[in-house]
Amino acid sequence: MFRFQSLDEDCTLEKEEGLVEEEDEIDQFNDDTFGDGAIDDDWQEEHKRLAELEEQKNDGLGGLGLGTLGMGGMGGGNASTVHLPPPASRVPHPSSLPPPHHSLSSIPPPGLEERGGGDLAESLAMLILGVDPAIASVGGPAGPDDRSTGLPPPPSIPQQHHHPSQLPPHHQLTPSGLPPGPPHLSLLSYQQHQHLLRRGAAPMQQMNSHNIWENNLGFGPVSITPGLITQMEDSPLMSIIKEVGLPNRPPPMMSEDGRDLSERAPPPRSSSPVIGSPPVRAVPIGTPPKQPMSHAMNHHHHQQIHHPTAIHVRAPVQHRYPPSFPERISPNTLLNIANSPLCRPPFPAGVGPVLSQIQRAQMLNSQVAGFPRGCQGPPLLPGGGGFRPFFGQPPPHRMGPHPGGPPPPNHNHVPCPIIRHNTTHLHPQHRRMLTQRMQSRGGERGGRVGDWRSRDPYSNLMSQREKEWVAKIQMMQLQSTDPYLDDYYYQNYFEKLEKRQERDRDGVRKEHTTKLITPQVAKLEHTYRPVQFAGSLGKLTVSSVNNPRKMIDTVVTSRTDDEEKREKQVWNKRRQILYTVEKMYSLLLEVQDFEKRFMQTPEEQREALLEQHKTHTLQLYSSLKEKEWDDRVSDEQCLLIMSVRKGKRLISRLIPFLPPLQAATVVMGIARNLPALAKKDKQDQVLCWLVEPIAVVISSLSSASLTDLLQELQGSEGQLSRVLQNKFGVTLLYLILSEGERMQSSNPTCQLMDDNRWTELVFSVTRELLNVPSSSLSPPLFTPPNLLSLFSRYVDRQRLELLQEKLQISALSRCVWGCA
Amino acid sequence: MRFTSRPKMNYMPGTASLIEDIDKKHLVLLRDGRTLIGFLRSIDQFANLVLQQTVERIHVGKRYGDIPRGIFIVRGENVVLLGEIDLEKESDTSLQQVCIEDILEEQRLQQQSRQEAEKTKHLALKERGLVMPRSDIMDEYGVQHQY
Repeated sequence: MFRFQSLDEDCTLEKEEGLVEEEDEIDQFNDDTFGDGAIDDDWQEEHKRLAELEEQKNDGLGGLGLGTLGMGGMGGGNASTVHLPPPASRVPHPSSLPPPHHSLSSIPPPGLEERGGGDLAESLAMLILGVDPAIASVGGPAGPDDRSTGLPPPPSIPQQHHHPSQLPPHHQLTPSGLPPGPPHLSLLSYQQHQHLLRRGAAPMQQMNSHNIWENNLGFGPVSITPGLITQMEDSPLMSIIKEVGLPNRPPPMMSEDGRDLSERAPPPRSSSPVIGSPPVRAVPIGTPPKQPMSHAMNHHHHQQIHHPTAIHVRAPVQHRYPPSFPERISPNTLLNIANSPLCRPPFPAGVGPVLSQIQRAQMLNSQVAGFPRGCQGPPLLPGGGGFRPFFGQPPPHRMGPHPGGPPPPNHNHVPCPIIRHNTTHLHPQHRRMLTQRMQSRGGERGGRVGDWRSRDPYSNLMSQREKEWVAKIQMMQLQSTDPYLDDYYYQNYFEKLEKRQERDRDGVRKEHTTKLITPQVAKLEHTYRPVQFAGSLGKLTVSSVNNPRKMIDTVVTSRTDDEEKREKQVWNKRRQILYTVEKMYSLLLEVQDFEKRFMQTPEEQREALLEQHKTHTLQLYSSLKEKEWDDRVSDEQCLLIMSVRKGKRLISRLIPFLPPLQAATVVMGIARNLPALAKKDKQDQVLCWLVEPIAVVISSLSSASLTDLLQELQGSEGQLSRVLQNKFGVTLLYLILSEGERMQSSNPTCQLMDDNRWTELVFSVTRELLNVPSSSLSPPLFTPPNLLSLFSRYVDRQRLELLQEKLQISALSRCVWGCA
Repeated sequence: MRFTSRPKMNYMPGTASLIEDIDKKHLVLLRDGRTLIGFLRSIDQFANLVLQQTVERIHVGKRYGDIPRGIFIVRGENVVLLGEIDLEKESDTSLQQVCIEDILEEQRLQQQSRQEAEKTKHLALKERGLVMPRSDIMDEYGVQHQY
């Protein structure tokens, strides 16, 4: 689960009084859905305020409410420290303010009321005027010498006032083109910039956050350092602001609502402001946290206040450098400054006191104001390599009035080895080593730390919280429920190390041998339990990023074991049979090819070949045999083989090669099991393959065996009828009978008649033949011609005729020995 | 990463993390061969980097030239390696810096000569019946084009 536990309390919005309970849950769901990174600001409140401001503004405010600025904590009320050009008459009347779409710089913070406020008001007015390049040109430090491009003379100011329409073209300094008006600060040279800045007319710099809507004091990013206008003009944001203008808001949000707006932070990652609509607040998961200052204060280790004079030097050729931001003061320092001088209600607990742009700007300004501006560049590049400092003037070393800034912790001390809680995942041995390492190194570099860090105006862009957040993510990847599975080598290495150390120490210090405690994260049960309200039916299913909705119900259907076994058995058997058949085939083929080979091989080797041949034949035969009985052909095996189509073919090819006795037994077996075979053959209908070889066999049979065969065929009760139903059976029968007849007719002394078996069998056959309905009598493959004579011996004329009819045998019929 | 001189804020002892590298000057080598030098300002869990005051340094032989680029945001997967630059030792280099135009020209020449060498080699191999895939004309799907 991707939850930052430590960040939770920050993410959970601490509700101010007045907000209802449900919103808590909703927000929790919001968090669930969008993850912890979602902004929990109440955009609705925000929007409401904006709307209110809009209304208030339209009510018509008189003059500038500079007091409101003061409440924003302008340099701790030391507006007097702000060195502004002498107040030029007045600030344009708000009511006469151009509509919001006018350019930024031309509009003093809308809604500023002339509330008096004496000194502060004045200074702030100056401030604002100073911002406006047109206005600021009025005398003072912002002397005309600073501006190469002639700014409009003072008289223009009143003009401005009365001709608001002039302002837009005057100051709409879109990146697209230079305005016709004079004060195009982008053309100011570097030195001029410096002058401007040095002058201290750099009151509010607010470019930290890019949210043009966000403003806790009721106005957007309004005041711009003249020196910074250039850079800001380049930024697309500024162009947007200039085009869009700012929401007009009435000043004192603080006093009116009694609510402290300072806790609403601009999101650290602002989505691009959609012009005209409330800002997009839902921030995707994985967004770093907001900037809570309270945490940062505790951990933050370097303090600096950054000088806003970051103007790049390589102006001429590549002027496209992005304008230097007013440096981010470390949030801590900003906060400190913000906090102490202001008698502001304390931040609600849990919500990081995040500063808005204005506040930051104010902080910055307040610090900046009092400081000497002449500093040299940071010693970033002592050798001066190829990397010119981006900024011409580094910030001052140290800020004088640095009210609450925590002293740089551990600056020159030996850093105590901070074993953070996050080392728990490490092997204890590992941890020990690390502490030792840290301690040893800690003493080395006490000194050098501070200075260059303090001169880096851009440092701490990544707040402490964000760093921790990244570290946390990285550490989460190390969590494991089974360390041996996840990081086998790590564990093993340290184990070995321990053992080695133990060995080396000869077990002297037994107390050091610690039992290995592998840090393990408990396997959390993450199944989603749907929310259920008491007393209600059913459960709410809230699908969120952490428990997505179940889309498909996959059910594994598996057959029961028994069924499976049976099926398997069947298949296995069949496979086995096939396998046997295959093997036999290979042998058979060898045997069949024997003769050819025999002819081909020279004399000497013929003997060997013959031997081989015999072996094969024997092998073939043996495969038909049962294991225990040497002589008998295994019925079972035969049957099995015959159950397979290929097997039948095999047998039919095999029989000619078998020695007569064995062939006879095979045929016997076939006859015996004919019904079964016939049944199995229903699909294949290939029994007839066997006819020819069997015929051959039969013809070589002795009378006794013939009789036996016939007996086998008749075998059990009802077998004959079944035999007759089968084509092959009938054919076989006929074959037998005809053979018998042949025997009798050819050799009067044959022993066929010696015992009554033959006669009886024939009788039964005839009987059966007569009884069997014609439909069930299957036509044979062929009808041997001498059947008639056979029957005529045994049956009377009447029956003979019947038989004749039935069997369609005629004395003259000529058989066609076809198929087999 | 060497341990810095600031107070020990050891986030991930025993692991490699870029957190301690923040706000320091780094040299970053990208997969497309570019070398960037800038101050590492921000990272994230994918090691995406935010470099400030970045300078792209082109090396040709013993000379190099810098092109100031400003702020770079580098997607983590494109980083081959990065390392902190020791500011004191930075100037102890035997390389000579030249102006950008010169170095670009030199680079162009270098590329040209390389390509020609490659071409001749390719041709020689082809004559011998061995067609080696040329990496420069291999597009993303591994398709080579014979121009």
